[in-house]
Amino acid sequence: MAREADPVRLEVIKNGFDTIADEMALILMRTAYSPIVRDAMDFSTALCDGEGRTLAQGLTTPLHLGSFFDAMRFLLDHYRGRIFPGDVFIGNDPYLAAGQHLPDIYVARPIFIDGALSGWATTVAHHVDVGGTIPGSNALGAGEIFQEGLRLPFLKLYERGSPNAAIFEIVKANVRTPDLVIGDLEAQIVATTVGEREYVELHRHQGAEAMRLYIEELHDYAEDLARREIAEMPDGVYEFTDQIDGLGETPEPIVFKVKLDIRGEEVSVDWSGTSPQVKGGINAPFPFTKAAAYAALRAVMASDIPNCHGFTRPITVTAPDGTVVKPLPPAACGARGITGFRMIDCLMGALAKATPERVTADGSGGSTLPTFAGTRGGKAFVFSETLMGNTGGSAGHDGQEGVAHIGANQSNVPIELIEASYPIRIELYGFVADSGGAGKHRGGLSIVREYRVLQDETLLSVRSDKRAFPPHGLFGGAAGAPSMNLINPGAGERALPVLMVAPLILGKGALFRHTMAGGGGFGDPLERDPPAVLGDVIAEKVSPAHAAETYGVILRAGAGGGWSLDEGETRRCRDRLRAARAGAGAA
Amino acid sequence: MAEGQEAAARDRRRYRIAADIGGTFTDIAFLSEEGVLATRKLPSTPDDYARAVVTGILDLLAELRTSPAEVSAVLHGCTVATNAILEGKGAPTALITTQGFRDVLELRRIRVPRLYDPLWVKPEPLVPRERRFELAERIAADGSVVRPVEAAEVDAVVERVGRAGVEAVAVCFLHSYANPAHERLVGERLRRALPGVFVSLSTDILPEFREYERTSTTVINAYVGPPVTAYVGSLVEAMSAAGIGGRLLVMQSSGGMLDSATVMERPAYIVECGPAAGVMGAAYLGRLIGCANLITLDMGGTTAKASIIEDHQLLKTDEYEVGGGISLSSRLVKGAGYALKTPVIDISEVGAGGGSIVWLDKSGQIKVGPRSAGAVPGPVCYGLGGSEPTVTDANVVLGYLNPGALAGGTVAIDAEKARRTIAERVAAPLGQTLFEAAYGVHVIANANMMRAVKAVSTYRGRDPAEFVLLAFGGNGGVHGVELARALRMQRVIVPIGAGVFSAIGLLVAEVRFDQSRAFLRHLSALSPAEIEAAFAPLEEQVLAKLARPRAEVSFERAMDLRYAGQAFELTVAVPEGLIARDGTAGLAELFEREHERTYGHRFPDAKAIETVAVRVAGIARGAGGGERPAALRYGATAGAARPASRSVYFGPELGHLETPIVSRGALAGGRHEGPLVIEEYEGTVLVPPGARVSLDGFGNAVIDLGTSG
Repeated sequence: MAREADPVRLEVIKNGFDTIADEMALILMRTAYSPIVRDAMDFSTALCDGEGRTLAQGLTTPLHLGSFFDAMRFLLDHYRGRIFPGDVFIGNDPYLAAGQHLPDIYVARPIFIDGALSGWATTVAHHVDVGGTIPGSNALGAGEIFQEGLRLPFLKLYERGSPNAAIFEIVKANVRTPDLVIGDLEAQIVATTVGEREYVELHRHQGAEAMRLYIEELHDYAEDLARREIAEMPDGVYEFTDQIDGLGETPEPIVFKVKLDIRGEEVSVDWSGTSPQVKGGINAPFPFTKAAAYAALRAVMASDIPNCHGFTRPITVTAPDGTVVKPLPPAACGARGITGFRMIDCLMGALAKATPERVTADGSGGSTLPTFAGTRGGKAFVFSETLMGNTGGSAGHDGQEGVAHIGANQSNVPIELIEASYPIRIELYGFVADSGGAGKHRGGLSIVREYRVLQDETLLSVRSDKRAFPPHGLFGGAAGAPSMNLINPGAGERALPVLMVAPLILGKGALFRHTMAGGGGFGDPLERDPPAVLGDVIAEKVSPAHAAETYGVILRAGAGGGWSLDEGETRRCRDRLRAARAGAGAA
Repeated sequence: MAEGQEAAARDRRRYRIAADIGGTFTDIAFLSEEGVLATRKLPSTPDDYARAVVTGILDLLAELRTSPAEVSAVLHGCTVATNAILEGKGAPTALITTQGFRDVLELRRIRVPRLYDPLWVKPEPLVPRERRFELAERIAADGSVVRPVEAAEVDAVVERVGRAGVEAVAVCFLHSYANPAHERLVGERLRRALPGVFVSLSTDILPEFREYERTSTTVINAYVGPPVTAYVGSLVEAMSAAGIGGRLLVMQSSGGMLDSATVMERPAYIVECGPAAGVMGAAYLGRLIGCANLITLDMGGTTAKASIIEDHQLLKTDEYEVGGGISLSSRLVKGAGYALKTPVIDISEVGAGGGSIVWLDKSGQIKVGPRSAGAVPGPVCYGLGGSEPTVTDANVVLGYLNPGALAGGTVAIDAEKARRTIAERVAAPLGQTLFEAAYGVHVIANANMMRAVKAVSTYRGRDPAEFVLLAFGGNGGVHGVELARALRMQRVIVPIGAGVFSAIGLLVAEVRFDQSRAFLRHLSALSPAEIEAAFAPLEEQVLAKLARPRAEVSFERAMDLRYAGQAFELTVAVPEGLIARDGTAGLAELFEREHERTYGHRFPDAKAIETVAVRVAGIARGAGGGERPAALRYGATAGAARPASRSVYFGPELGHLETPIVSRGALAGGRHEGPLVIEEYEGTVLVPPGARVSLDGFGNAVIDLGTSG
């Protein structure tokens, strides 16, 4: 620590910030109206200092959180000298507000201490609809941002405590579900009010002078820890290439190439060689690209580093203009989440070469986003949820089923809530056997969810991935099973593209089944502990046939329907499989 | 009331006795109506916990020259349910779900408790996949039947459950809160076909919506059901065999006491009861001594638990997760344990107690816990076969604990064994002296406990320096002062009866039963009669569970409400007569006021309000719990002063100091400078150099750390 700071006091203040950011998140979640915000928790909260640097992140979504600083800096650059107590700012546009995509609306409240701008209570929430060509405003087929919905530069939603009714009216007029959008916006405003109140209280308590000192101390402390962590990683250049399947019925792969350069205490991330921006809504604004790098690198740092701006200082991110990771206007960005997830996955692929013990093999890859829309009782409804997920195997463990992607710590929506609110019935939610990539540590199983549409004229659109390029394994582990979108599975079923550029109209009784990809395996499946394979068979996670074919584990059915391990036959089977491999290698 | 009846009521109250089981010790406390305390502490008997309870009660009663037959109530706190979960030793359990949803239990809510941790591993589900069965049936959100159950399919599932050889079954179907018929039907078949198997229906345990939380709570209930039933049954039997009269009341996680028979139906409600008793005692003591802001530290043999009392209010939550390692309470941190949606006092817990095992990691760093030597074999110095060094062994080496015996001679200490194990297992591998190594263990144990204290204070933006630390449990007094110093706290209180403080909490807690049910309606469309009709049957249920005459029971009504469209509700207490007087408008005003208090705003243009659930708590006055004497003082078991001193090690700077060993009573009148060791029957208090101790009017040891004096 550079200055004469009391470590206990630093911790009290740091935890005070964390608590405020978490409290803002709780209040936003509890007062919000749309399932995607209140149940799936597709929103984030952060407390920033007077310079817009993040002090604390609510326990929410890292891909949002790393994007806050650029938006706040943009806001400050445009409004410096014209920011007053009681102001509340709103903005969403990637190009006019350093935003992420139009559904993610920022609400930011400046905080004044003794008359000086000293902090910001900031929130971003994924709104269920912001207009545009399709319900849910995730128009994968959008060629330009103008097609994606309502664009908001940073504007004053409140000025010196007075609401700007015109903005509220414009928002209401441009979205399909004004009640939900305004309700969620109010929840964001309330969260910033609470953030302001608590931040002021913390200053009153600790003293403004001390707070200034400890805020700098906190950034320096986080930077110092991050530098030590990076210094421990082996120096070198680590590269990785990953793909998104592509858009529509005839998808063209979208290539991600990353070069990670770890040198001493610093690391640079460069995306040269990545596909040019596309005529589709999956271009990721550059602040989001930076957030992906921060999230992936933070995830392989072991110690308990404060999640404030300071930890990002030793990290540099670059990308060529006009790529899918640094698009130029008017590229569309509505479904850019998928690109953020893929950047993290790609970075993890590179990091597997530098810090193999701290990563997992590839997983299902962030959220799948199905959106159902229609009219009920004369009012429009839009329902979308973020489906996750599994991870690949790691050096120490099998992949996990039912965990969030590190890019977005979000939740599933309770089935009982969906069915109480929308003309949809969920008929299946569970694991798919034999879908985890084989490995010494098996990849997590695919997760399947079925939606029965209970009303005619229901629009469906889906953002998914990893069918043509399923999650890769590591160190000899196999890839996981590919993802799938099916209408009315069985005879006469219809497969839908991973990224639907146009919504599909479903009739009453239609069934949509989404199956996520399985996680990749870690290590050679022939080294998997046979009792672990037996356990998987007993749990119906792996079939006996799959156990024999991929793991070389031979099981015998018992009289009571149980299974037991045939150790001798397993040994012989594994020898045969190894010999076959060697033969294939020689040929 | 006739004079005779009053006397009888007094007598009944007088013979209430509390028994609290910890991982290491079983504590017995008796509090007379005048506030005179008598206590007994003895090692727990994990092979049959009831044995120590009965032995302890009989011993104490003999000392008090009271017949066991005169006992009117035994108030009990036990960790059997928690331990079953923490140790993965609950009953082999099956789960029956709606077809298509057997993995809901394992998928959980997806969120993980930490950001940026790709290697995080979920807790294993309490029911493995092969014992999760599906039944073709379906109920819609409005309670209508989409797919009726077929008798043959029920039989088939019941048969598969039977073949699985389980001791407990949980049943949780989608939307059963709206229509419990299918669950009830399956429940009846299970009970008939599989007598002796513990059956839990979600509609009985938590008739509220959100399928994962309801499934998880029901599964916990089933999982701990057989061990709790077996334990409570054996205790009742042992009490009766010993001639101990009166009813057995057990503490729930909410801090309320409940008849043992009802507890056996809803064991999920006692999962977090162990730590709750101490907090109830702390709340009582805080009022008694006029101290509104307390952080409690309850350090026993196995874990240390912290909670916060602010402005006399303790913190409750119904969004608890149990297990999953360290439980640091935070409502946003989800996924580390098993969701338990029952009323719980919010407590943070870490695996650091006197029995916590000391080990060295690969880089030679001293680690303490979370494994514990428990009561058997216990620390090495107990001489009961323990072979791994523990925190207590280190504390004996340092001179903090009596080198001859603990608990008034009940537990013999072999100080030489303590020295040998610390020397061989810690000091030698690290190349340290015996005392450096032992002190290192003590400091690391403090650092572990600090996390629990921080979780309830700094993690919530509260500065511990503004709170008084109330340290209790067998080891609270040994570690509390140094811990407080590290957190810049100014004052520590080690209460009278600190070593059995949870047992005292049992004596002052109320008898209470909570029942809720889903009630999804539009508030404005409800008539006062409909609201009454929702509460009245719940009150009847509560009354039945309390098994008390109506005159002895008072009810607290509450309703969960939300703005139509929100997913989260607020619980609002519904005062008696409100509905009759103000109708639903009165409720709306209460809700909006609470919304404003919690979230800082209400909606000005009257948004629609929905009701979500009704809740009733019945609190039984009179017989049973809830006595709160206005004073506390020691009775017969307080040890006499034995003027003595011994050499005590206070770290590398101060080294060894010859330290007076005193009894609590010897502190009366005046302030005493540390170093001092206060030894009493059920615990030890370490007053290090620089701290000063005095007794308050109730016999609590008040230790001040302020530099200014």
